[in-house]
Amino acid sequence: MHDDVVDKLIAGDAPTLARCITLMETGGPTADLVHQRICRHVGRAAIIGFTGAPGAGKSTLIDAYIGVLRARGLKVAVAAVDPSSPISGGAILGDRVRMRRHAEDSDVFIRSVASRGHLGGLSESIHRIVDVMDAAGRDFIIIETVGTGQSEVEVAEIADLCVVVNAPNMGDDIQAMKAGVLEIADVLVVNKADLPLARRTTEQLKSMLKLRREKLDVPVIETVATKETGIESLHEAIVGLQRTATGDKQKTRERRMRRLIAQSAGRMVHDRIRDAAGGELEGLIQAAATGEIGIVDAARRALKTVL
Amino acid sequence: MTASTLSPPARILVTKIGLDAHDRGSRIVAAYLRDAGMEVIYTPPWQSVPGVVKLAMEEDVDVIGVSSLATDHLIVPKLMDALRQAGLGHIGLVVGGIIPEDERPALIQAGVSAIFGPGAARDDIIAHVGALAVKARERRNAEFTEIAQ
Amino acid sequence: MTQEAIQLSLPGFEQAHGRWRVEYGQQIGTERIIKNRSRIEIKPLYTPRDWNGDAFLENLGFPGQYPYTRGIYPTMHRGRTWTQRQLIGLGTPEDYNKRVRIILDAGATAISLLPCNSGFRGVDCDEVDPVLLGTCGTVINTTDHMDRALEGVPLGRISTAMNDPSPFTLLAFTLGVAKKRGIPWTSISGTSNQSDYLSHFIANHMFYRLSLPGSRRVLLDHIEFCRKHVPNWNPVSVVGQHMQQAGATPVETMAFTISTALQYAQDCIERGMDIDFVLRRFTFFFDISISFFEEVAKFRAGRRIWARLARERLGAKDPGSWRFKFHGQTSGVDLTEQQSLNNIARVAVQAMAGIMSGLQSLHTDAYDEAITTPTEETARIAVATQNILREEAHLCDVIDPLGGSYYVETLTDQMEQEMVALIGKIDEAGGMYKAAEAGTIQSMIGESALAFQERVEAGDEKVIGVNSYQIDETDRRGRPTERPDPERMKEHVARFKAYKAVRSQTDVRHALDALARAANSPRENVYERIVEAAGAGVTHGEIVSLLRKELGFGHPLVVV
Repeated sequence: MHDDVVDKLIAGDAPTLARCITLMETGGPTADLVHQRICRHVGRAAIIGFTGAPGAGKSTLIDAYIGVLRARGLKVAVAAVDPSSPISGGAILGDRVRMRRHAEDSDVFIRSVASRGHLGGLSESIHRIVDVMDAAGRDFIIIETVGTGQSEVEVAEIADLCVVVNAPNMGDDIQAMKAGVLEIADVLVVNKADLPLARRTTEQLKSMLKLRREKLDVPVIETVATKETGIESLHEAIVGLQRTATGDKQKTRERRMRRLIAQSAGRMVHDRIRDAAGGELEGLIQAAATGEIGIVDAARRALKTVL
Repeated sequence: MTASTLSPPARILVTKIGLDAHDRGSRIVAAYLRDAGMEVIYTPPWQSVPGVVKLAMEEDVDVIGVSSLATDHLIVPKLMDALRQAGLGHIGLVVGGIIPEDERPALIQAGVSAIFGPGAARDDIIAHVGALAVKARERRNAEFTEIAQ
Repeated sequence: MTQEAIQLSLPGFEQAHGRWRVEYGQQIGTERIIKNRSRIEIKPLYTPRDWNGDAFLENLGFPGQYPYTRGIYPTMHRGRTWTQRQLIGLGTPEDYNKRVRIILDAGATAISLLPCNSGFRGVDCDEVDPVLLGTCGTVINTTDHMDRALEGVPLGRISTAMNDPSPFTLLAFTLGVAKKRGIPWTSISGTSNQSDYLSHFIANHMFYRLSLPGSRRVLLDHIEFCRKHVPNWNPVSVVGQHMQQAGATPVETMAFTISTALQYAQDCIERGMDIDFVLRRFTFFFDISISFFEEVAKFRAGRRIWARLARERLGAKDPGSWRFKFHGQTSGVDLTEQQSLNNIARVAVQAMAGIMSGLQSLHTDAYDEAITTPTEETARIAVATQNILREEAHLCDVIDPLGGSYYVETLTDQMEQEMVALIGKIDEAGGMYKAAEAGTIQSMIGESALAFQERVEAGDEKVIGVNSYQIDETDRRGRPTERPDPERMKEHVARFKAYKAVRSQTDVRHALDALARAANSPRENVYERIVEAAGAGVTHGEIVSLLRKELGFGHPLVVV
């Protein structure tokens, strides 16, 4: 039955992992069943989010970081998320090729994920994708997203910790100034640190952190991804944070579960209200349209009718 | 099923193997496919055959489009063999670029579905790749449900 | 002349013009708006109202006089015809040698060398599937290979153009050969034809090998080294070809290329080099498309803009620094696979445009260039085209023959305006290096490329044989494609492997260590170590691989 697929997956078979990811993206009862079956095997992997504006050298940094992980014999999976075109629904997925050093390493599994119109910027199925990668025995799972604001917050919900990548000379406002991004950063990186203005960027970030009490301990690491300098320090910082956060890992997983359940429930309710016919709902719609009742009120009442 | 109703959307790899690195054409085709609603994994030139096989497997692609100038097309049959050996024989393959007349039959023989020269019309390319994706998806799903049974 | 003067000197001008307008309107039928490739609207007629020779000395002047619009030398082609410089490259060094000897025997004083694509990728011949070797260029990985390729070639007396992107190993091998033959480096002349790493990063990933900062470093070291030790060599060729081939319009191409030249000049100034010392040996390399008048205007505008920028902005004092020297190559992008003999006519038109623009050297494509490296026959036709234009059409007789044409002068002015505006935009973005790093240039080129393709798709741009005047060519049996002799190539690779085994490993080790050290100390000249390494028997692949490690691998920024 599906056990064959599940067995192959937890044994780490890469083609099966690839097809399971597609299955999770497709959704449906088979996907739900497989996901349910693998839940027991989830929870071992370290999930690290990498985000940053284009031009910061994120993919090159991840490429170098994977090198450090591989040198320690760790198995890696990467989910590289790129936006889908809101008009056509298509996408150009070009991040993975920057991780060229690992193009033939079977212990580095890279998957490009299109956001597919998901409002937050991350694909709806990313939670499940991370779960199957976890169940497949990958030690480190890296989620790469473009810094668009919303997607960082979502990454924070999935990942154990978030690395925000900056580069000097990226315009007047530093990447981290964008609302929400500094909040979710567990590690800040200043890449291209060999450029003249790098030191200033580091200082700017540090002083911004000082303004937030709970962010005082956030490390700011300087790296030069193209020359692979600073990457060991980055890994030390990540591992250090992980060690102090083992309890949180369970909490993160539960938070993720809650979100998945909320999402699923939300979709169910959404679809029912959208598709329902019948007097009571119609009446509510009319009333809301003429302003007789407010939208929120209408929603509350609609909930009662469809559940 | 048509390409536009495929869910998830058709996944196409656009790549260059061999030594040439002129990519004006492949970039335009990638843009066409994206605008037609497909997800395109786009690589820079100089990809290796094992690298492409690994990529195709991980990304679960439906179709591979190889952009070829000079003699690069001569190693396309090697790519197709490698794909088959890796259990990825369901993936459709098209070649775009400049391929001498006398060397085309060998490609078709090896399983290349179509060769698009410089004058190929955008709609023809999109239609063919889309149809190929549907076929590939059907073949792949059949295999998967066999395993999943 | 002022408008008044026109009206005074041409009585009835307005009337006659008016009458023409009316008759034109009556007889033209449906009037279409026509735009050239740079999207500038082209009128049916140009008159003194459009351009009347105002400020003649300031804007046009005479050949050999600032701002050089009519030509950079007083005599131009009438004094000395443009240099015929056909690209050659195929197979083994011996294959190349055979071809180049034929050309030299026929009286050529300038040759060029196109290396195998494996070289562009940065690897040696033993690292690649043999079926891919030598099909588009010659396999040259060591000084020894260069020696064999240039056997019997009078190095000190002819000019060599090398298609040799960073880190310029082909020149390094050539200098090694010169040393062996006792030829002083001061008599080596030629050009590093692909030294423009920004154009590679932006538009031709074929040649892009080292990271952006690494490429910048190696180019500056290369310029300094050559200016000091190989003074007759042009270390810089700023390339417009790749961007135009990637889809940039002629206006964009010239603007981007000049901005790149400004960037390199600026980098040299910041290094402390004297601007005249550097600019004297700047050359340019362009594609010539089939948009005939547009190309002529493009080059004339470029000449004028460069002269002004070099003198006023860069502060160069030597007139040699203000002269826009360029090599033109007929654009392969306009050639078609369908009905390929038509390409002979296309190349002739492109060549005419280039010649009438006042280029310094010209390469004409063979008609089958789109499909394969030229055979002896097709290469000969390409050269004959130039000879016909010179000897039979007498295109050398008059300097700047299109100068004074109301159309060409107006178009030159219009294109100049747009180019200057675009150069200004790039200045605002912080210069070409920053703009390329951010992907701005790539986006613009991509948009132009897509727009052009859409016009072709819609039939607005006609391409004979492709979207118009097509014939059924399914029965066309192509000539069997020429390929380098696989046996000879196998032998070449085997010989190369044997060479690596017997060369002095200590010499190689020392040279590579010195190169690595230089790469990591900004005060040392990396290129000097590259030349030394070449002399010590280090291979092309070994040099590129080390530099990629020390200076960073070149990842182009792909913008779709």
